[in-house]
Amino acid sequence: MYGGGNVFESMKATALAEEDPIKLAEFEARIDRGEKIEPSDWMPQLYRKQLIRMIEQHGHSEIIGALPEGTWITRAPGFKRKLALMAKVQDEVGHAQLLYSAAETLGKPREQQLEDLISGKSKYSNIFNYPAFTWADSCFISWLVDAGAIVNQIANSKGSYGPYCRALERICAEESFHLKYGHHCVIHLATGTKTQREMMQAAVNRWWAPMMHFFGPSDKISVHSEILMRWKVKMASNDECRQQFLDMYVPKIWELGLTIPDENLMKNETTGQWEFSEPDWEEFKRVINGDGPCNKERIAVRRMAEERGRWVRQALLAPKAKYVTPLA
Amino acid sequence: MLKSLDPRVNRLSIPDDFEAPMAAKEQLDQFETYQSFIQTKEGKPFEHAGTVHAPNEEMAFLFAKEQFSRRGTFCHALCVVKTELILVSEFTDNGQDVYDTFKGSYSGDTSASFEVFHSVKRGKHHKHIGTVEAKDFEDALLASKETYPRDKPVFNVWIAKSEDILMSDEEDADIWNTLKEKKYRDAIDYKAADRIKAFKAEQG
Repeated sequence: MYGGGNVFESMKATALAEEDPIKLAEFEARIDRGEKIEPSDWMPQLYRKQLIRMIEQHGHSEIIGALPEGTWITRAPGFKRKLALMAKVQDEVGHAQLLYSAAETLGKPREQQLEDLISGKSKYSNIFNYPAFTWADSCFISWLVDAGAIVNQIANSKGSYGPYCRALERICAEESFHLKYGHHCVIHLATGTKTQREMMQAAVNRWWAPMMHFFGPSDKISVHSEILMRWKVKMASNDECRQQFLDMYVPKIWELGLTIPDENLMKNETTGQWEFSEPDWEEFKRVINGDGPCNKERIAVRRMAEERGRWVRQALLAPKAKYVTPLA
Repeated sequence: MLKSLDPRVNRLSIPDDFEAPMAAKEQLDQFETYQSFIQTKEGKPFEHAGTVHAPNEEMAFLFAKEQFSRRGTFCHALCVVKTELILVSEFTDNGQDVYDTFKGSYSGDTSASFEVFHSVKRGKHHKHIGTVEAKDFEDALLASKETYPRDKPVFNVWIAKSEDILMSDEEDADIWNTLKEKKYRDAIDYKAADRIKAFKAEQG
C-alpha cells in the first residue's frame, strides 16, 4: 500500500538553468520517446532529488502502513484471516525493501532512508497517523486504503524511471490479493449480523475524511508540477486519482448497504465528475506536521525497533563488508 | 510510558522521553548488497529480480527467497551474487549494440567460467544468456560477443564469475513446494460475489 498526495520539494527557478542544455535535451527526448531512464543515465539533479523523495516516501508508507494492520493479526477473527493478514503485512514490508532499493539506485543508501524516517526528516502517508480501533478499521484499510494506493501505483508504474517501474510491477501483482482479501473482509462484516454491520459503518465513518485526504490537496498548476509531469515523475494529478478512486469504489461501498458520511457526495452526470464536501485541509496539514493521533507512536515504534535491534545488526556486521549501490 | 491502543506497543514499554536524540552512528551499518535472479519455470532463463541487503551470501539467499518467491508459481530456482562482483558494461543508446564498443578479440583461454546477462530494452530486467569460459571479465565480454548471435542490439551486459554465484540446488527443489499450498495468498481465494448477490436479494 502507499500514500498519495506526495509532498514535492519546491524548486529554485535557477535549478534547471544550471543543467547542461544538451544533456537535458537528450534526457527529455528519451522520455518523450517513451523510453525508461536507467540508473547510469545522465539525469537532471531535480529529477534525481524528486524521485528519491517520492520513492522513499512510498517505502516509508509501506513500513508505517504495516503497523495499524499488524496490530490486528493476533486478534483477526479465525485462523484463515490471521494467516491472510500476516501474509499481507509481510508483503507490505517486502514492498518497502523493493522501494528502498529502487531509491538507492539514485544514490541514497537504505540505511540513510531508515534514519530519515526515524528522525522525522522524511514523510510517509498521512493516513497511517490514524488508529485502527476495531477489526473493521483493519478491514477498511485492507480494502479501501489499498485501493487508493493501487490507483496511485498503477499511474506511477507508467512513469519514466526504470527501477521504480519494475518495483511497482511486482508490488501491483501482490496488491491484487490485498484488495480482494480486504473486499472479502468488508463484505463479510457488511452482510453479517447487525452488530457487524454497525461496526463496519462506524469504521467507514471514521476513515472517510482521512481517505479523502489520502490523495492530497488539489494540485496547483505550477511550473514545477508541469515539469514533473513532463518528466513522468508525477503521472496523474491528486484530483484525477481521487476521482478515479471515487468512480471505482463508491458504488461498491453503496452496494453493501453502507453509507458514506458526506451528504454532498454525488456524481455530477453532466460533468462526469464526483462532487463532495471540501476536505478539511487544515486538519491534513496539522496531522502531516506531527500533530495527529498516532504520529508519535508510529515513529516511536520504528525507533525502538532500530535501537533494540542494533545488537543484531552489530552481531551480523562483517567489518570488511563494503556497501555497494544496487545495480537496477 | 507511551500509551497505545495496540497491546503489542504497550508491551514494548517505550519511555515517554523517546524523542531524546538518538546516539549518533559512527558510520552507516549498511549491509552488503546482492543481486537476485529468478527462474520462474524449468528451462526458462534466469531473470534479474532485484536487490537484497544481507550480511553474507546465505542470508542473502534466504532474504531473496522471502522477497522474490513469496508467490508459489513465481519460482523454480533462485540465485544470488554480490553486487560488487558483477561487471557492468557501458550503456548504449539509439539502438547501438554495446558489443560493437568492445575492441580486441577473445583469447580462447578457458581457465574461468562466467555467466552473461543481457538487457535488450530499457525498463526491462537483465536476462541470463549463457555461460562462457575466459581468462577474465573483459575477456568474458569478448567471448560472449563471439558466442551469442544477437538479433536485437544489446544495450547493457552484466558478467559474473560462475563461482561467485550461490544457486539453489536441484535436490532442494522441494523448498518451493510449500509455497503452492498457500492459496490464502492469492486473490482467487477471495470470491464473495454470491454473498453480495444474496445480500442484495434480501434487501429487495
